[in-house]
Amino acid sequence: MAPMSRYLTPQKISLLVLVKLYCTSQLPSSCTIPVLSFILTHSQTLPPVLSVARAQPSHDSSYYVSFPISAFEEVLQGHAFSMPGRTLLDVFLEHMWKLNSFDALHSLFDSIGGLLAGGDEDGEHDANPDRIILSRTSPLGSFVRRARLEFTRLQFVSALKLWTSFIQYRAPTAQWTRRIAGLAAIGVDAVAADIGLQQGDALYEVAYGHLAEEEDTDQSLSVDDFDRLLDFQLDQLQRLGCRVPEEMRTQLRDMLGPSGVVLRQSHLVQFFDAWKAGDYTSAFDNLHRYYDYAMQTRDKIHYQYALLHMAILQADFGCFGEAVAAINDTISTARENQDMVCLNFALSWLNHMSKAYPKQMKGVGYMGMLGTERDGLTFLKTKAREAKMWNLLSATLLNEAKLCLSTGDSVTRAFEFMYQASHLNIRENINNNGSVMLLTSTIYSRLGITHLSDAYCHLLLLVYNDTSPIDERIRATCRLAFNEVQTGQYDKGLARIESIDQSAHGVLKFRQYIFFSTGLIKLKRAIRHTDWSACESYLTSLKPDIATDPELSFLLQSTHIEYLIARSLFSEAFNTIEDLSTSLKEEGADILHRVTLLLLKADMFRKLGTPERGFSVALRAASVAYKSKLIPQLWIALGLLCNILNGLGEFGEAMRLLEAIVPQSMLVEDNHLTGILYSHLSDSLIGLAGQDDISTSHGTRARSTHLSNAEMYIDRARDCFKKVEDIEGECEQLVKRAIVAKLRGDEQLSEEWAQNHNKVWEEGRARIEGGK
Amino acid sequence: MGSLSHADEVQLKAQLQDAVGACTERCLYQSAKWAAELLNSFPSSDDDGSDTDADSPMSDRMPQTPGNRSTKDAIETRLEARELPKFLLAKTYFDAREFDRCAAVFLPGPLPKGSVHLGSSPATKAKQPLKGKAKVGTPSKQKLPAEGMPGLSQKALFLSLYARYIAGEKRMNEDSEMILGPQDGGITVNKELPGLSAILEQWFEGLPGSGRHGQGWLEYLYGIVLTKGKNEKLAIDYFVRSVHLYPYNWGAWQELSSLLGSVEELHEIAGKLPQNIMAFIFHVTASQELFQSTDQVHNTLGQIMSIFPASAFLKTQQALLHYHQKDFDEAEQIFSNLLVSDPHRIDSLDQYSNILYVMSMRPKLAFLAQLASTTDRFRPETCCVVGNYYSLKSEHEKAVMYFRRALTLDRNFLSAWTLMGHEFVEMKNTHAAIESYRRAVDVNRKDYRAWYGLGQTYEMLEMHSYALFYYQRAAALRPYDPKMWMAVGQCFAQIGKYGNGIKAYKRALVAGSYYDAGVGSSFGSGEGSGLGGGILDPDVLYQIALLYERMGDVRQCASYMEMVIAQEEGEGLEGFEEEVGNGVGVTMTTSRARMWLARWEYDRGMYQRAMELANEMCQDGMEVEDAKALVRDIRARIEREKGDARGD
Repeated sequence: MAPMSRYLTPQKISLLVLVKLYCTSQLPSSCTIPVLSFILTHSQTLPPVLSVARAQPSHDSSYYVSFPISAFEEVLQGHAFSMPGRTLLDVFLEHMWKLNSFDALHSLFDSIGGLLAGGDEDGEHDANPDRIILSRTSPLGSFVRRARLEFTRLQFVSALKLWTSFIQYRAPTAQWTRRIAGLAAIGVDAVAADIGLQQGDALYEVAYGHLAEEEDTDQSLSVDDFDRLLDFQLDQLQRLGCRVPEEMRTQLRDMLGPSGVVLRQSHLVQFFDAWKAGDYTSAFDNLHRYYDYAMQTRDKIHYQYALLHMAILQADFGCFGEAVAAINDTISTARENQDMVCLNFALSWLNHMSKAYPKQMKGVGYMGMLGTERDGLTFLKTKAREAKMWNLLSATLLNEAKLCLSTGDSVTRAFEFMYQASHLNIRENINNNGSVMLLTSTIYSRLGITHLSDAYCHLLLLVYNDTSPIDERIRATCRLAFNEVQTGQYDKGLARIESIDQSAHGVLKFRQYIFFSTGLIKLKRAIRHTDWSACESYLTSLKPDIATDPELSFLLQSTHIEYLIARSLFSEAFNTIEDLSTSLKEEGADILHRVTLLLLKADMFRKLGTPERGFSVALRAASVAYKSKLIPQLWIALGLLCNILNGLGEFGEAMRLLEAIVPQSMLVEDNHLTGILYSHLSDSLIGLAGQDDISTSHGTRARSTHLSNAEMYIDRARDCFKKVEDIEGECEQLVKRAIVAKLRGDEQLSEEWAQNHNKVWEEGRARIEGGK
Repeated sequence: MGSLSHADEVQLKAQLQDAVGACTERCLYQSAKWAAELLNSFPSSDDDGSDTDADSPMSDRMPQTPGNRSTKDAIETRLEARELPKFLLAKTYFDAREFDRCAAVFLPGPLPKGSVHLGSSPATKAKQPLKGKAKVGTPSKQKLPAEGMPGLSQKALFLSLYARYIAGEKRMNEDSEMILGPQDGGITVNKELPGLSAILEQWFEGLPGSGRHGQGWLEYLYGIVLTKGKNEKLAIDYFVRSVHLYPYNWGAWQELSSLLGSVEELHEIAGKLPQNIMAFIFHVTASQELFQSTDQVHNTLGQIMSIFPASAFLKTQQALLHYHQKDFDEAEQIFSNLLVSDPHRIDSLDQYSNILYVMSMRPKLAFLAQLASTTDRFRPETCCVVGNYYSLKSEHEKAVMYFRRALTLDRNFLSAWTLMGHEFVEMKNTHAAIESYRRAVDVNRKDYRAWYGLGQTYEMLEMHSYALFYYQRAAALRPYDPKMWMAVGQCFAQIGKYGNGIKAYKRALVAGSYYDAGVGSSFGSGEGSGLGGGILDPDVLYQIALLYERMGDVRQCASYMEMVIAQEEGEGLEGFEEEVGNGVGVTMTTSRARMWLARWEYDRGMYQRAMELANEMCQDGMEVEDAKALVRDIRARIEREKGDARGD
């Protein structure tokens, strides 16, 4: 098998024929645009950005590289030529079949030079004003020039190979129209026809006999096309972090395999693929292989990139020690080679890692290169500005915004940084919008405006779906799912997560993320269902490890505590909380996490029946949450405080507080929270009713008003709990109703509520049984 | 020898069969191929019939064939029988391209050191063969290995020495530098030659006394060795001996023909050759290579072809003869048919490509290149075809690349050297061109194109007297090619030897008329008039006229100018054949001649004639401005004369 041609393919020759036709004969103006856009799409002279924007997702990328001859038919069939009764296709095919010998092919390439401006000095083209002269730098002009250059560089044998594959490529058109049938009847080669050769003659067989055998179209791809294909794959892999789809992989293998061409990029593609597949050893193997080959052709300049890749790879597989060593090497090499881009990127990455995995990084002896985190970010920001690395600058700004949030600084500052980054993205056309959207969504969810948070997630998924990394897409989807879970739509949330593209499952990291998210939702539901055996089985499989996403791992831990509290395993819960809070303090963790822990602690005391003990905790949580605008946490804390006030008999104050916050808390769209708040409100009302003096008529009236209000809130709370399928909460409200009915003296009604309670409880039990 | 009797044909077949076997045994693959091809080119109708009765003569063919006469030689037979296992071993080694190992089977140990200066010093070339022989023979210590040699059959000895020779050639190629690289002087020599020469020398010295008879093979090998040593006279002797002893070894004939530098030498040697079919074929081939396409050669070829109607080799010779005769269409046709009948044959396709090149048939040349390169990319012929194609497309760099590749494949591939020279000339790289041509000439001194190219290159360098030498060589090789003589004449003119120049141009006229008439009959008619033959080249006539003018012989000049004009209508051909009767028409040259004549007539006062000529020029539309000016002048003069006359 002869090696693949470098650039020229039969398709490109056909395009050249079309270009020549376009330039030399007067095409009707109606077909100018379709013809030109067809040529441009296929000649690949456009910059990649544009072609990406234009590419329809339904088309495989290789479609553009190797397209069948029928593609010409589709475009050209519909247009009439200036000569009546002839379509453009006829003319085109006529030109195609005029290439009737190997020499004619050479002549074609000789003649296309004349299409270029200044191609022939003798001013010959002035003779025909209808002719279109291509500027040398126009897309068509550069296509023509490139084709000519490549043809000149061809060895005779390669040119011959090109010719035969062109014959093959053209062959199906012979039957298309009657007009070219005459031309085609001469056969593929006029010279052979002159000698009087027929198919089957010995001489003919020598020249063209192999045509019949070579059915495969390995020539329809040139090395250049393949380069582009692999570059596209790499771009996808790097930008989106996905894997090469299975069908694409087999296709690539089929194309590469027989040709015997080994392209460097193919190693890189394999490296990324193996990495994302979690195949640590092959990833390393391929990384080394790629850079070994890259060294051979380029300079040693790329050594730091090899190290950088290695560091990222190591960290990805949880080998932080090796990763830190590699990144240190990267930094020193980059410094040595004056590669600011690489250096800054390495520093930024290091900064990110120490933020994301502080414990692990400290564990391997990383002490921080740039002093405090804030200093580090400022440093990176200036560096990025100096080196005009807008990408890095944008990422750093987002990091700064995140830092603001996590330390509980003012939210406005965070917004400021974020808008700066967003502005930069637009101005410099940086594809960093996914992160901005996610961060905005995070900020809004911290501010307790859930629908805005949702909106940004939707925005990311709708608008930037094609251009943002899979990672961000998955995060957005999971966040949406969690928000749905808050309102009790477990199934919808699960379905949403399940709807994530299957291709994401190919990457180990994403797979784990999805797995944990699904598990988390199921665990939450099981806790609400009080299905302890299910909880236990979930919990065993949901043990976060080192490499788990830190965000998710905290969620898992807090849910674990929730489970312990719900199951009344208080001492265990207490120990876990204490452990976690110390480790969080060490890490300097996100303020949100610490507040959440405080709230859990306070909740535990409530559950324990001694809410007063959690007073200081809840108060602290409330003040911190208020200061750093963690609104949902603030409502929870206030709810706990009200509960404490209720416990202390300060019903009036509790009621006033609750009435103030309940409407606002609705914004959070957390039904469980709302249920709890309603329940507390009803408690306060009942407490007030208890304080009412029933001896006076006024007191009696007030009590009954309080009671009916309480009943109303109980019902509301019950609805909320029912929505989130919190069986305990629901039953509690039913019990409250029964008690209130009893208090009213309506024994029968009380009995009814009690039975109702039993029924619900039984149903809950049955649900658990049925679930198993 | 028109047609062979049936018995003769059967015998010839048997001999050819035998030759294939004998050549294959000795690993002379090309000769074997040649013989086998010939064996298969008898008329096909006879094949069916001879199938049955082929056996009877086959049985008694042994005593008849001359090749087997020596096999009958009792000593050789005995020796061959004894060493058969070893011979088979050696043969397999040779086939596996392990030449040194093959040689060592019969001749272990190093060869005796012969005189290294045997051939490489140019002095020996001029010396008497006997002297060269004596020089080799002098060292006495070399007698030692010779003692063991009678124990070897000639066949074994041939194979081992031939293997040695091939091994030496291989090493020589490996040692050679890149083609036309800085170190590539073409002087790398086969280091085995002196040793081989010494052994063979001894062997032949001892032959008369040993009671053994030569079989032709060792003679052939010795001839090769002598040729490489530039000891050509002796080499010819040995080749003649070889073909006498065994005529069916085509290699020997080929070597012999490559040693012939001129027709005279061919005629001289013809008498010494055996009279058989091989000699006829040789004669035709040698004549072809010496560009002798006379009727006699054609006739001989025709007769041979009646015996071997299907022989591609003979057809090629025929086509080449036509080519030398500038009958391109015919040559092209023959080659084209050859291509159809034997599509995988690459031999002498480079010649075909030359023909197509001259005919500017680009598509066909491309097709040919396609064909050749599908069959075998790494044959020098293929590379030449491709190179020619690129040359025709004016892509000279690529052409050079392919010629260079051809030469890397075979350093002695003559046409590639010449063609590469042409390319270098096109690329204005005169030094490289000269070197290429020189190498071509060194490979084969009969290549007139290379000589001509050398002359042309030196002319480009304005070294006319130097170029003259080369043109003369070229003209000597192709006495009937007007182009050569024109070049010679031009050079003479440039260096101021007008008389010689005129002579050369007249030769060109004669040669031109010879070719144009298609027959040699008109050759030799008076040089002075030059009108004896068919149409004459007006350019040449014009040049002659100019030279006469420079010599101050205006009268002669004028007569030649008249002749130039005469060619327009082909006036000189009255009574000659119709088809050649049409003239060249009005050309630049004839117009110039007419202009000159008009001026001349004007100068000597023949205004009427001058007027006529000038008017003709106006009609022809050439140099109208000048002609009109002249007409005006003439009118003025005529008017004035009339006025004068009236005044008188």
